[in-house]
Amino acid sequence: MPVEIKTGWADSVTREECAVISLRHVTREYAGRAAPVRALDDATFTIVAGEWVAITGPSGSGKSTLVNLIGCLDRPTAGTVKIDNVDTNAMTPSELDRFRADKIGFIFQQFHLIPYLSAIENVMLAQYFHSMTDEAEARAALERVGLGARLTHLPSELSGGEQQRVCIARALINNPPILLADEPTGNLDAANQTIVADLLKGLHRQGHTIVMVTHDPEMAALAQRKIALAHGTVFCHPVGGPVVTLRR
Amino acid sequence: MSEDSHLESPFSAASGPPPPATVTFSRILRRSLVHRRARSLSALTALTVSAAVATALLTLYADLDAKLHHTFRSFGANIVLTAPSDAGFGAQPIARVEQAVGTVGHQEVLVAPFSYAVATTESGRPVVVAGADFDAVRRLDDWWQVDAWPPAWFAAQAPAVPPPAPALVGQRAAQFLGDAHNVTLTFAGHTIPLQIAGHLRTGGDEDSRVYIPMAAFTRWTGLSATVLEVQVPGSAARVEATVASLQHEFPGARVEPIRQLVEGESRIIDRTHALMYAAVLLIALTVGVSVLATLSASILERRRDFALMKALGGSHRHLMALFLVEALVIALAGVVTGFVIGSAAAFAISELNFHTATLPYVSVIPIILLLNVAIAAAAAFFPARVLRSLQPAALLRGD
Repeated sequence: MPVEIKTGWADSVTREECAVISLRHVTREYAGRAAPVRALDDATFTIVAGEWVAITGPSGSGKSTLVNLIGCLDRPTAGTVKIDNVDTNAMTPSELDRFRADKIGFIFQQFHLIPYLSAIENVMLAQYFHSMTDEAEARAALERVGLGARLTHLPSELSGGEQQRVCIARALINNPPILLADEPTGNLDAANQTIVADLLKGLHRQGHTIVMVTHDPEMAALAQRKIALAHGTVFCHPVGGPVVTLRR
Repeated sequence: MSEDSHLESPFSAASGPPPPATVTFSRILRRSLVHRRARSLSALTALTVSAAVATALLTLYADLDAKLHHTFRSFGANIVLTAPSDAGFGAQPIARVEQAVGTVGHQEVLVAPFSYAVATTESGRPVVVAGADFDAVRRLDDWWQVDAWPPAWFAAQAPAVPPPAPALVGQRAAQFLGDAHNVTLTFAGHTIPLQIAGHLRTGGDEDSRVYIPMAAFTRWTGLSATVLEVQVPGSAARVEATVASLQHEFPGARVEPIRQLVEGESRIIDRTHALMYAAVLLIALTVGVSVLATLSASILERRRDFALMKALGGSHRHLMALFLVEALVIALAGVVTGFVIGSAAAFAISELNFHTATLPYVSVIPIILLLNVAIAAAAAFFPARVLRSLQPAALLRGD
């Protein structure tokens, strides 16, 4: 049942209209030795602006494939993927690269910082591939995540939690509408998990859309919705939970 | 992850305020090369070897013909002219040879005139006496083993009773001449006293002869030069052309190339060229395989870095440029260091083998550059395909 939320306007709006991520009958197959391997099968769901969604499922359930598609790193074999109401199927590879830099901020489980660039340079790397670098903005992003005193440190000089915070700053630097977090606390101890979880909660309160892949039930519980995958099939994506303010 | 910093920041307080942070293509490139210095050095070493070997061989090749000709010069004449009669070649035969040789484009020619007569010793034993220009013979036949060359002898200074002419005696002739210092020979009723100035050993017919200055020989026998031994540098084709020119200049004379030397020199030069090309090719292939292995390992090591850059919006073209420019930078650095090392090697080889210096040939740099860039590009081809097929999300998840 579509959720209808009163926005103060005369007409009610639907999730579909306010979707920032929309998958319709999306299937992704890979060539296999004997037969094609169907990694994702007929997935259909939407995520509206400002939602925090957790994607769960066992290994091999299709989470990587779904992340690829939402993150514009791959194209579906069938179906449509719309990000911010733009059909990504219609884009050329170079358009997709630009679109991804514009719309998606990635937060990885293993941080994936460039080892020979400092914290601020790692954040500026995202700016480099997006438009142009701005040291002041990068500094502000790191200060926002509490790393104002660690700007010039190499990743090897930062703790796990600090590296993940650099990753979050990097994900935010270009103000993308969507944050795609892949097991953001998977490699952290309890204390740093709390720090990162609090950061994500703060970002969500500020209105960021967060799509989070996680095995951690505590992290999943922070999200408003869970999309469960099994054997490439989205078998559960309930809509409900707290009131969501829809944004166009 | 460690909570403790185990490396000093390059921007510690002790070194002053940090420089402005910036991210540019060249900075990423430079940092990447320095960060993986072991891999970078491995590829650089391989490409330096290829450039050095190619530089050394091409530098030697550029001068090879001249050096081999110089070496073959020491083997003596490669053309022999024989006069049609005992009248000899007449006046100024050397100048005429030089003129004829010059028309074929040679700039250097060695000519030594000879004349022969069979004289008898005081004991009645026959011996071949040769009149020769010792200065010319020394230049042309420096493979002769001579313990002491005779001094100059001038006909003009000879009085009615000429002093003994200096003689160079072959080791076999010396055995039956008797006196180790002086000998008197007779030809057609005319005698000539000779003072033995030195001994000669060649292992050939020269060992049975007595050589005296041409002026003394002509004064004694009345015979002028009847044989001209000529040495010209060049390929077999050039020697043949020289023979034709000499035949035109000296009609009636028998002009013959010494085939063993001419064709032997030509074969050796051709085979040396082929050997050099083969060596360069073999080295290039070996280096290519080594660089391929290094670049492939580099791609595998950095696949997550490339996957990250792609996830951040880096285009495939951008990533390829980063990878290929890195390979190109290493190739260029290899050219520079390889040229220096190769030129030094060529100098040393040339000194050791030919006793002459070979200076660096700057003109080989474009060839070396092309070779190294081709090796780097070929070696980068397959790793670049691996880069193209990267699956960012799976890699970044650690799958």
